[in-house]
Amino acid sequence: MIAILPTLAEPQSFSLPEKLLFAVLALASLYSFWNRFGKILNKILHSKKDAGFHLFPIGTRIWDFFWEVLCQAKVVRERPLPGLAHAFVFWAFCAFALVTLNHCAVAFGIGFLNPEGQFGRLYFYLAAAFAFACAAGILGLFIRRFLVRPQWLGEQLSYQSGVIALLIFVLMATYMAALFVTDNASVRILWWVHTLTLLTFLPLIPHSKHLHLVLSPATVFLSRGGFAQIPPLADDEDFGLVAGTDLTQLVSLQAYACVECGRCTEHCPAADTGKLLNPKEIILGVRAYLNNVGPASDQPLLGEYNSQEAVFQCTTCGACEFQCPVGIEHVPILVGLRRGAVNTGAWEDEQGAKLFLALERGSNALGISPAERDKFIEKQALPIFDGTQEYCLWLGCMGGYDPKGREIVAAFARVMNFLGTSYGVMRKEKCTGDPVRRLGNDLLFQQLAEANLEALAQNKVKKIVTICPHCVRTIQEDWKQYGTPPAVEHHSEFIARFAYKLPTQSTGESIVFHDPCYLGRYRNVYEEPRTVAALAGNLVEAPRNKERSFCCGAGGGLAFLGEEKGERVSHNRAAELVATGAQTIAAACPFCNTMFRDALAATGDSAPQLLDISQLVARGLPR
Amino acid sequence: MKIIVAIKQVPERDAQVRIAADGKWIEEADLQYALNESDAYALEEALQLREKSAAPDGEVIVISAGPERVGQTIREALAKGADRAIHVACDDLGSRDALGVARLLAAAIRPENPDLVLTGLQSEDFGLGQTGVILAELLGLPHASLILHVEAVAASGAQNQIPAQLKVKRELEEGWFQTIELPTPAVLTIQSGGNKLRYATLMGIKRAKTKEVRKLAAADISADSTPVVVMDRLTLPQKQKSTQMLGGTPKEAAAALVEKLKFEVRVL
Repeated sequence: MIAILPTLAEPQSFSLPEKLLFAVLALASLYSFWNRFGKILNKILHSKKDAGFHLFPIGTRIWDFFWEVLCQAKVVRERPLPGLAHAFVFWAFCAFALVTLNHCAVAFGIGFLNPEGQFGRLYFYLAAAFAFACAAGILGLFIRRFLVRPQWLGEQLSYQSGVIALLIFVLMATYMAALFVTDNASVRILWWVHTLTLLTFLPLIPHSKHLHLVLSPATVFLSRGGFAQIPPLADDEDFGLVAGTDLTQLVSLQAYACVECGRCTEHCPAADTGKLLNPKEIILGVRAYLNNVGPASDQPLLGEYNSQEAVFQCTTCGACEFQCPVGIEHVPILVGLRRGAVNTGAWEDEQGAKLFLALERGSNALGISPAERDKFIEKQALPIFDGTQEYCLWLGCMGGYDPKGREIVAAFARVMNFLGTSYGVMRKEKCTGDPVRRLGNDLLFQQLAEANLEALAQNKVKKIVTICPHCVRTIQEDWKQYGTPPAVEHHSEFIARFAYKLPTQSTGESIVFHDPCYLGRYRNVYEEPRTVAALAGNLVEAPRNKERSFCCGAGGGLAFLGEEKGERVSHNRAAELVATGAQTIAAACPFCNTMFRDALAATGDSAPQLLDISQLVARGLPR
Repeated sequence: MKIIVAIKQVPERDAQVRIAADGKWIEEADLQYALNESDAYALEEALQLREKSAAPDGEVIVISAGPERVGQTIREALAKGADRAIHVACDDLGSRDALGVARLLAAAIRPENPDLVLTGLQSEDFGLGQTGVILAELLGLPHASLILHVEAVAASGAQNQIPAQLKVKRELEEGWFQTIELPTPAVLTIQSGGNKLRYATLMGIKRAKTKEVRKLAAADISADSTPVVVMDRLTLPQKQKSTQMLGGTPKEAAAALVEKLKFEVRVL
């Protein structure tokens, strides 16, 4: 059947001046591309080596590359319509690799795809199908950018994007037209228009955000591995991202790979509540620094190109990093900039210094005497861990000292007592170091991690269970730099495992579950807390849920810093949860809990009740 | 300006203190130690004076007496910004009274000829509040206690640019303050809370490794090293709850409360 369709028309021969003209233009285009791209590559390669980077296990890298780059899974999943349009453009580019090579080879009479042959015919038609999809896709994207204009693309119209869209459209149109023309003059004109478009497009790539065509596959493949992974410091002179000389190859690569789509900004709790921080601008700030100052400079990274104030507004919720389609790891960069400021003493903040001093001299982030923790343990008759029990119940600062956190611990203890779990709490416990880790205080974090690791080893703790997702993350991932932490899990995972043994409450109560960032995006635990909450009523979902859950505003040490600028993140999220109409808000993190407690108090008397998932379960237990 | 800050290592505020088996000292084995709080403020005051001073030759030297473990606290002080340190090594701090410790410190400080000596107001462990004042007497220097703020002012009528006089803010009772001027050299004991303390940084700790810590043996610098205090017995404070419930109508209870506050507690 394919034989009766028209064949792709190519000029049969080229005159010498034509060949020379094409050769000169092609060389000029390649030179113009390399002239810029070579410089960028140089800056990336002359950045510092990444400490703690391993190419292995390579399997996950190959999978990520296949799934995120080749299948465009993330691009499509997070923004289906424009994502699909983009995917068609991308797949067309892949299909066109062979077509374009052949197109250029034709000029010198060495075309290798025969339009009359079986394979050539098939391939050209396959490419034509992609060309059609691509042309439709780029037209859709053009309409979105210039007519629909979503706010996160920025207020300023990018005319560059318009030019690129036009070039892509012309490329596809001239290709498809070549299937329908037969006269020699038109064929020749189409070939030259296609060629000139191609040669104009190439140098535009490294001069614009379309550099992501080249760099983002590398960025996705060369991720740090794991989500929001904070890398180790390289040596005694490494204090984090202080100046250009501290920029690592991955940071520089990622800065140049940014496609400026604004997904990070769209999902950022700071940017969404009128704060200075805009994760996209942070990455572009690093890029501007690299362009204008370079990776060999001692000029501070914070100052002219990025603001210290913005960097310390990050809650480390990781929504930006989770959303990024080109594999930029925002959290390590933001925390890296904080490390640079805190490890050198450049960050001066009254509340921040108070937190650091409380943990330098004491044991918990709240700055309360441990005698209060002892009293709580005694009052609740919590067993002391003596090495014979299966679990160490880690209280954390919130569980040990915060009134609401203590209620959560008490409820979870009731659940464990009901299940007959053998557990105990440590006599002495220090803060895991989560807030200081995220604020960039490596000295204090190391002291806390080492002291805790030593105490846990002395007590022969094998398994930890805790009510705080921040403790879970810090113990499991961040402590690794200083030793081997015991196995740790969140109480939602523990309770979900024994859900079949727990009573179901047929209350008909509607419950909305708020995904904590450090349980969801950081740990990929979404179903367990829902299983637990479902024991107590009927679940409803907030508009932003699971991977897209919106932060409560407490993470990244911000719970301990001063008043927020703009709208409070917690109020924004609490309003969304209240709007679901649910009778109960279920939380699974003591920080979320305390943030929402305050936010709900501000919404008046009609606020739904706020309970931790363990409290929901404990409610149904026999007295 | 050359400033010496005398600091003391004390058990961490959160520490659970236990009495040693012989009943004469505390169990030191599993105690965590930290810098005495008002000494931290003395150090902060010294660092700020150095930073504010126009003279480039400002120096902050910390001095501490005590056993080997004191080295840790000295390192922390160097990490926060002190330029060098003197460690007066002695294992018998408990059997020296305030005079004994002041003698050790004075002997170590004298050769340095400092412009200013700062100490914390009192230690968190014994709380005697004497060492700094006795130190001033031994050094033959003027002193002021309970200082919240120190300012270097140019000596009136003097030719040189180096500030030779101090303006200090003292805390008095009931929210009153006193501002006085002193000549240098002088000894000041610093009250907690006058400044915001800086936090320790990774860079500070790394830089501290290369700073000088001079060790002096107690026996070498002070002829009089015989212990003058003998510890007889240590006990923990007895906890006792003596809550009284005042019954009756609110009116009667209030009357009973006023009665007790007036005649038993005598605060009204």
